[in-house]
Amino acid sequence: MIAFENVTKIYNVKGVKKVILDDASYRFADRKNVALMGHNGAGKSTMMRMVAGIELPTSGRVRRTEKVSWPMGFARGFNGLMTGVENVRFVSRVYGCHTDSVLEQVQEFAELGKSLALPIQTYSSGMKARLAFGLSLAISFECYLIDEITAVGDRRFKKKSEQALKDKIKNARVVMISHSEKTIKDYCDCGVFAYGSKLYHYDDVNELLKDYRKFC
Amino acid sequence: MFYSIWLQIRVIAALTLRETRMTFGTSHSGYFWAVFQPIFSVSFLMTLFYLIGRQSPFGTSLALFFATAVLTLEFYNKLSVSLMRAFTTNKSLLSYPMIKEPDTLFARLSLIACTFIVINVIFYSGLLVVGLGQLPAHPERLIYAFLTTCLLGFGVGSINAILYQKNQAWQHIEKIFARPLFFLSGVFYIPSTMPPEAIAVLKWNPLLHVVEWTREGFYSNYRSDVLNIAYPLGLGATLVIIAMFAERITRKQRV
Repeated sequence: MIAFENVTKIYNVKGVKKVILDDASYRFADRKNVALMGHNGAGKSTMMRMVAGIELPTSGRVRRTEKVSWPMGFARGFNGLMTGVENVRFVSRVYGCHTDSVLEQVQEFAELGKSLALPIQTYSSGMKARLAFGLSLAISFECYLIDEITAVGDRRFKKKSEQALKDKIKNARVVMISHSEKTIKDYCDCGVFAYGSKLYHYDDVNELLKDYRKFC
Repeated sequence: MFYSIWLQIRVIAALTLRETRMTFGTSHSGYFWAVFQPIFSVSFLMTLFYLIGRQSPFGTSLALFFATAVLTLEFYNKLSVSLMRAFTTNKSLLSYPMIKEPDTLFARLSLIACTFIVINVIFYSGLLVVGLGQLPAHPERLIYAFLTTCLLGFGVGSINAILYQKNQAWQHIEKIFARPLFFLSGVFYIPSTMPPEAIAVLKWNPLLHVVEWTREGFYSNYRSDVLNIAYPLGLGATLVIIAMFAERITRKQRV
């Protein structure tokens, strides 16, 4: 279960106050693939980070009983001084996974070869994204967070990662941010629309897209 | 309940391993230096004092008398300083929702405590080997004193971490308080033999009590008039409680 309970999120940067959510309560339908839509700057990514537990609400609480991934392709949680292998080991230990089997899967998927034994700071951003992507697939989350990115890497790797993610979410669900109607239709069963610091639920993705076209 | 305790232990264990890697580097010589750097610096200091012909204020071994105070202080300083940066250097870890900031503090505490157990064992056995040491008369008191130092160092270090993240200038202010500790903790003298006016001031230093406790642990006939174990224990526990509350209250401002 993922739910927002009376969540208020306010950013206060240099005297500019920005209200992302104002006392919003919302329960993400269980085991459904949920689309999260809204105009640019509505705070979709912030909400996703709150779902992931990276960011805390200003008030209220976010309840999370399933194993939620970090936003896919997001590689901020790596330590640049540690090698790829060490980072993978650390993350799988934290999530209570079998380190060797996770490492094996990441090695096979990310195709980083010997680079995996080098410190992450020597990686290109594409390599980091591949590692993060491979790692989130190997950990087997119950809910994958997708912020626009459904695939990483070059053309060939993009195809492979997209397919791997599709396979993975047969046994998991996604919460997805996207501006592409096709992607939303492809992946999602229902949706939520962020508008004016509130959240609106839609059982039907087509209804959501209709309102999205109207307001954004 | 049981699951969350297990999760906590798992997270702290993973963090401790990571801390180990970050502190010591990849090479084995990293471990060597982490253990032997304090040992060498204390030994160097002692050699200097031997050379200028200083007599031990208590017992026959100046080295042992010194070590009881200096190693305790080193341990405390290491805790209070490296915990201070625990939040700022571990910011990226908060991407993993099960890692909470206190976990990074606990991980550093366990790594440093383990390192200092090794340091203490090596140092005191080294003294024994070269004939400057002795077996502790009351080993259990050494353990209590060590644990109390953990408590104090953890409490102060955690508060440092919170203040340092609020304002980085705290690292300089903290130094002002930490510097005099070397002179106030009975490194060169027996506190009980000081004039009452001095004792009235010195006894407010919790580390002095821990040093005295350590000495009572080592020497069978060391009687401290200053030592009051309730003080460092109570102060340490209070600091830890304050730190944990303050961390929880200020968490939202930090993330």
